[in-house]
Amino acid sequence: MDLLSQPVGVSHYLVVGAILFISGVVCMAVKRNAIGVLMGIELVLNGANVNFVAFSSNFLRSDQGHSLGLDGQLISLFVIVLAAAEAAVALAIALNYYNNHSTIDVDRADELKG
Amino acid sequence: MDAINWHTFFFLLFALVACAFAVGVVLATNIVRMALYLIVSLGATSGLFFLAGADFVAAMQLMIYVGGTLVLLIFGVMLTAKGPFISMKTGGGDWILACLLSGCLAAFLLPAAFAVPGWRNVRHAADTAAVNAAQPEIAEAADASNATAEANSAVATNAPVQTRTATPLGMGLLGPRVDTLDPDDASLVAGMSGYLLPFEIISMHLLVVLVGAAYLARTKRRADSRNPGARNA
Amino acid sequence: MNAGDSLPLLLGLAVLLPLASFTAIVLFGRWMGKAGILASYVATGAIFGAFVLSAISFSIWYFGDLGAPAEAAHAEAVAHDAAVVDTGHASAVEHGTDHANAGHHTARPPKYFAGDWYTLGQFGKLKVTIGYHIDALTIVMFCMVTLIATLIHFYAFGYMHDELHEVTDHEVTLSNGHHLHRPGRFHRFFQYLSLFCFSMLGLVVAGNIAMVFVFWELVGICSYFLIGFYIERKSASNAANKAFIVNRVGDFGMIIGMMALWAGLGTFTFGDIKDAKGNVQQGIFSQVRQEKIAGEGNAYRLLPPDGMVKFAARNEIAAGVEPTPDQMNKWRDQNYGYWLLVIAGLGIFCGCVGKSAQFPLHVWLPDAMEGPTPVSALVHSATMVAAGVYLVGRFYPVFAAEVLLVIAYTGAITLFLAATIAITATDIKRVLAYSTVSQLGYMMLSLGVGGWVAGLFHLITHAFFKSLLFMCSGSVIHATHTNDMMKMGGLRKKMPWTAYTMLVGCLAIMGAGIPLLVGLSGYYSKDSIVAQALSFWNNNPRHGAVFFAIAAGGAAITAFYMFRLWFLTFAGEPRDHHVYDHAHESPKVMYMPLVILAAFAVGVGWNAPLRLNVHGASEWLSVTALLEQARPAGDLPNGVLLPELDHPDEHASHQPTIHVVAALVASGTALVGFLLAVAFYGVRILNPNEVKSQFAWIYRLLINKWWFDELYRVIFIRPVMLISQLVSNFDKKVIDWFIDSLARWTIHVANFDAMIDRYIVDNFVNVTAAWTWSIGNSLRSLQTGKLRQYVMLIVIGTVALGVLIRWSVAAGP
Repeated sequence: MDLLSQPVGVSHYLVVGAILFISGVVCMAVKRNAIGVLMGIELVLNGANVNFVAFSSNFLRSDQGHSLGLDGQLISLFVIVLAAAEAAVALAIALNYYNNHSTIDVDRADELKG
Repeated sequence: MDAINWHTFFFLLFALVACAFAVGVVLATNIVRMALYLIVSLGATSGLFFLAGADFVAAMQLMIYVGGTLVLLIFGVMLTAKGPFISMKTGGGDWILACLLSGCLAAFLLPAAFAVPGWRNVRHAADTAAVNAAQPEIAEAADASNATAEANSAVATNAPVQTRTATPLGMGLLGPRVDTLDPDDASLVAGMSGYLLPFEIISMHLLVVLVGAAYLARTKRRADSRNPGARNA
Repeated sequence: MNAGDSLPLLLGLAVLLPLASFTAIVLFGRWMGKAGILASYVATGAIFGAFVLSAISFSIWYFGDLGAPAEAAHAEAVAHDAAVVDTGHASAVEHGTDHANAGHHTARPPKYFAGDWYTLGQFGKLKVTIGYHIDALTIVMFCMVTLIATLIHFYAFGYMHDELHEVTDHEVTLSNGHHLHRPGRFHRFFQYLSLFCFSMLGLVVAGNIAMVFVFWELVGICSYFLIGFYIERKSASNAANKAFIVNRVGDFGMIIGMMALWAGLGTFTFGDIKDAKGNVQQGIFSQVRQEKIAGEGNAYRLLPPDGMVKFAARNEIAAGVEPTPDQMNKWRDQNYGYWLLVIAGLGIFCGCVGKSAQFPLHVWLPDAMEGPTPVSALVHSATMVAAGVYLVGRFYPVFAAEVLLVIAYTGAITLFLAATIAITATDIKRVLAYSTVSQLGYMMLSLGVGGWVAGLFHLITHAFFKSLLFMCSGSVIHATHTNDMMKMGGLRKKMPWTAYTMLVGCLAIMGAGIPLLVGLSGYYSKDSIVAQALSFWNNNPRHGAVFFAIAAGGAAITAFYMFRLWFLTFAGEPRDHHVYDHAHESPKVMYMPLVILAAFAVGVGWNAPLRLNVHGASEWLSVTALLEQARPAGDLPNGVLLPELDHPDEHASHQPTIHVVAALVASGTALVGFLLAVAFYGVRILNPNEVKSQFAWIYRLLINKWWFDELYRVIFIRPVMLISQLVSNFDKKVIDWFIDSLARWTIHVANFDAMIDRYIVDNFVNVTAAWTWSIGNSLRSLQTGKLRQYVMLIVIGTVALGVLIRWSVAAGP
């Protein structure tokens, strides 16, 4: 198959990253469960990570030497760490919310309605 | 039939898994199922990382993301589940809107992915050398057509590609950048311009997050169905 | 101390004593004794002290060494040394032999002491000072004023007894119908009396015309206070206003005269004053009547002074003609500056017209009877009204012949006018008031025809008998509580002292006496006036006839109305028994002064058994002799603008041809008047009512006082009221309308602005606020609080941002 013999470039990774991102966004927009929203956030961050890693790779580009190199990977490391931190805090908030309102439905959390 | 580029094969495999399960997260209604699909998706992403040569990052993804964050999410799922898993359905209008938006995003992002020519093609010299060993003139032609012939020298020498990134990453986090040493660039001479400062900031950040999360999630009087909306003690 | 130093001191002190009394009573009057009764003691003591000082001054004048005798006697004057004892007439008849040519006797300047007490200020050449001019006239006036004032103070102590406690004034009705009830003002009366005495004495002693003017006004204001003593009575306050305002009309002319004098003479002082360096500063009299002019004898003839001549010749002087003494004489011969002299004289006389209630300014004196009777006796009979005559007498050297003619005519008209009105008056004080006006007319007439001594002598005698008559009438009023003679009658049985002293007064004013032998005081004075009028007639056929006729006829009318008054009041049957029953004699403190005054009214014209040196001749001491000592220098002036005017010398009237005729005529007419009064009111053989109805229109004319008040109201008061009405209307209709319209317009504009503010500005603001609110409200819907919606919005934003960047960059696909 032609598909399988062609080497993969940055663009393919970017597509994957885009799909992950879009899924994450839709998940955030659609899910009523707060944890679901968190999952969406994870997806989004992952999509971004994929992009970073793709850009940092030396193999995937036709123009060698223009990759981000280790910077990209470092950034994606940071993103992972921050995603973990953010997940922890967001979860704490969600748990708080659940404990106070006895529901995890974010649609019920409209007390900030103007 | 050409030889299978196993890199591409595995890439496609992991990519499909990741995307499919990501979509599955969106479409699933059960929160536990969503969590599972997410785990799979992120695992596949980790594989993608490996394929891109970021071994350390991929390992970290598996360890921290999948093994830590998602487990945390599972905990959250369990802590916030009441009785049989309630299914909260979103209205059709929201779905339409979401799809519309996602379509717009896609229309925006996907062309952008293919925008730069340098991203589309790849000269994997080791692979092409292995694959096209019988066609050296094609490889030379391809080499010749490559603008940056000098930069390919390291790759063209058929030397094994360095994919061990842990040590350089670790060193970079502590300050010196041992992967970019350039006697001409002053900021890169001694290998400075590392990520020591962001590293420390992240550490503090994590500390804060730890404390904050511990505080936020402390034991309080639980509001149950008999007492909805009860506030903190 | 010689007379020149002691006399000013004594008389100055005499002037200041009543002032001190005034100050004391003003400050402490209310606390002087119970209800202020001691105030009268203070005032009476002060004026009595002034009288004592005047008497001492007189004795100094008589007995003391007055300094250098008068100038070297004129040859004719020496012949007057022969002393003739004449118990009758005061002026020696021997003068007649030397007066073949009437009017040729030149009087030497009288002995006088002039000086300045205090210089108020010097404005260029003009010095304004407080000074004195003391001669025999001053001494006589001082004695008369202080004596009569002392007697009146005693009288007033009894008359004003009502004011020692609360007074119910029956002539004042309040708005609630009751009579006014007010506290007594006893001390106030004596305070004003003291102030008046001070003012009058200051006027008499004054040494310059400016000081005279100041005291002129002072007596005017005292008269105002005293007439309006019962201030709550509208009639009294109106009368006070009338007196003061009419006086001011006269003062207007007086100021013009003063200005003319100053412009022409450069000084206000009467006499010559030697200053510290020995220079003589010439006063008014010696400037208008100089002994020598340009080295040549002038014998004190009246000539326009240099200042007036220069003013009249100002065009020539401006053209370059030099005013050498010869040139000045030439101009004088052409009568340059004469008009200015006439105007000066007329101006001063104008003031006297106002003060002495002459025609046409006589209207205030009858109304002045609103004041208490002591006031009428002191102020409006003896002293203040006499001040005008005194000033004419003092200023005599300055009057030109034409001015003297005007004075004579004014006096004659006044005499006749007032006498006729007095015939019909029924208020006892009104009769006496008109009588005063008439007698003042006599004095002015006398002065106008050249009888200087006669006029001033009449002033002295009139002071005595008129104040006597007023005080008697006051006694009657005090007893009967009414002024209306028609309610009286037969009172002599109830009030004998009053009745018979008043009889003496009536006889005195009539001029009763045995012709050419002896008479009461009025006989002598009236006689000399009629004699002078007759003498004037001899020289001036046209004018003199009028004057003599009026003088003689006036005597008849005077006798008639005075005895009408006496008979109506004291004789006959009582017409109102209520009044008659309540009548009683006045207390001793009131009728003793009457007796004293009656004695003076009888004898003030007689000679005292002492000799007096009058200009080198030895005379019997009498008032006329004293006055003769003060006769101004120089002859009576000849007419210039009316060249036929010839004022005869006063000595000419002492010729038997004139003197005898005059005596007989005067006594005869007085007797006629007396008999008529007896016929009508004494024995009642003639009925006055028949006369009244037969001459109804004359009666109406007289009872309405010749309609002078109405005439003045139409001529002066009505136009003023009309103008003030016009101005008031203008102010109300135009100015107020304008201001009100402005105010209304401002309100309209304000309303309009308010409307704009309310409907446009406020609306604008409100609409803006409403829009803001509604926009905000609608934007509120964005904040749903829904998490998922926010997420979507984020995405939309991102997409939009990307699109924007894409389009703006416009790069490749």
